[in-house]
Amino acid sequence: MIEFVNVSKVYKTGTHALNNFNVSIDRGEFVFVVGPSGAGKSTFIKLLMSEEKPSSGEIYVNGQNLVRLKRRKIPYFRRTLGVVFQDFRLIPNMTVYDNVAFALRVTNVPSKEIRSRVPYILSLVGLSNKAKSLPEHLSGGEQQRVALARALVNNPSLIIADEPTGNIDPELSFEIVDLLSEINKCGTTIVMVTHEHDLVSEFNHRVITIDHGTLVSDDWNGGYR
Amino acid sequence: MMRGSSFGYLIKEGAKNIYANRLMSFASIGTLVACMLLIGSALLFSINVNSFVGYIEEQNEVVALISDDATEQEVEDISNQLTLIDNILDFTYVSKEQAIEEQMALYGESAFLLEDFEGENNPENPLPNSFRLRIKDLSILSSTIMKLEAVEGIESVKAPTEVAEILSSIKRAVYSGGMFIVLILMAVSLVIIANTIKITVFNRRKEINIMKYVGATDGFIRLPFIVEGFLLGIISAVLAFGVLWVGYNYVLQVLAENPSAWINQIYQNTIPFQKVALQMAAWFGGGGIGIGVFGSMFFVNKYLKV
Repeated sequence: MIEFVNVSKVYKTGTHALNNFNVSIDRGEFVFVVGPSGAGKSTFIKLLMSEEKPSSGEIYVNGQNLVRLKRRKIPYFRRTLGVVFQDFRLIPNMTVYDNVAFALRVTNVPSKEIRSRVPYILSLVGLSNKAKSLPEHLSGGEQQRVALARALVNNPSLIIADEPTGNIDPELSFEIVDLLSEINKCGTTIVMVTHEHDLVSEFNHRVITIDHGTLVSDDWNGGYR
Repeated sequence: MMRGSSFGYLIKEGAKNIYANRLMSFASIGTLVACMLLIGSALLFSINVNSFVGYIEEQNEVVALISDDATEQEVEDISNQLTLIDNILDFTYVSKEQAIEEQMALYGESAFLLEDFEGENNPENPLPNSFRLRIKDLSILSSTIMKLEAVEGIESVKAPTEVAEILSSIKRAVYSGGMFIVLILMAVSLVIIANTIKITVFNRRKEINIMKYVGATDGFIRLPFIVEGFLLGIISAVLAFGVLWVGYNYVLQVLAENPSAWINQIYQNTIPFQKVALQMAAWFGGGGIGIGVFGSMFFVNKYLKV
């Protein structure tokens, strides 16, 4: 599903973000990615979404060779992923419904299907009653659930969550990860970058630790080192 | 590749964005209209000055004097040769008898002073037979004079060469000055409009960014902006055109109602708006839409590289 082979990334500024990074993640796994700031977690995510190309090495995601992926093919690749960010990244002048529907409109889904799929996904994340609200009228936890709904609505086989709990209350963070775990149980692969020790210890998932651009530990039994 | 329904959605989205970002839309339309008004006014002003200078030019007559002995046949010959000279708008033959009568008419009550010179073939009449010619283009007057002098039977040519030079240089100055001002205005407008569009797109860079992350193709992201630029351009063009039309006709009316004969002369030579309306509309529409569409596309592209 995800395969990083000897991946290095050097930015134009000279920063060595990743050095000979190797990792393999199978379909249906739930993986926490941890490590100090500046360790290379963000670069890992950017490479995963094909936002950046590696300086050397091979990357395979969802059956695509990302090194060879042409620029105009990137949008089609991204449709096989769901992405959730720390800052939610909802479109402020669109309602909750439209924010979720947006991800489907982008992929040319017929409006009839949009009308049935969006309410279903919103009920899944428990936001049916907020469909007509604007993001600014929602709490952080609710906004993140909208973002999660948007990531889910395409039925992606992989969800990438970049510190999804960074901007919300601890008790609500638990809810978000719980929701991700439920999604994972249905077979969706989850890669979640986080800082929060408590969360990692609470859920028993694989933990990858990155430091100085390399994989320093790969713990299958969960827990934070 | 793109479905009809999502194409319709994108068009609607573009129109909706104009309202959603109404402050920036207002700023864009305001700048575009202001620029078009300035350029349009400068153009209208310079074509009217040109038309008036052209009118003054037409009032200038060149007189070709003919010998007293010329027979009717000779006069006929000269007249035939005059029709061959390009730069002559029209001409009339004035015999010495007509000339003296004209003078007497000018003298009014004192006309009796000229009575001695009146009458057919009066040897006392000091005025010559002549052709009065109106010239098309005063700027090439000197070559026309040379051609006239070469015509057999024409004794001498009297022409307002100095006036001609002044008028031609005024015309040139108005033309090049007008073009210069229009060009500067265009350059300034482009900078202002480019900045307005840049700010509009900058304000929505997050939105563009999000679209990229959920897998929108570049074309999909661009289209609403193109629609928006198109609509803003056309709205601005229509507004500017309307304001210019009403404003111009108002100025014309003020001129028409002015009792001064001089101003009235100017009014007689103004260009009616209808005469330039089509061209103006085409330029405004084309310019507005072009700037709107290409401006948006140019700046959106900057944020598409995610």
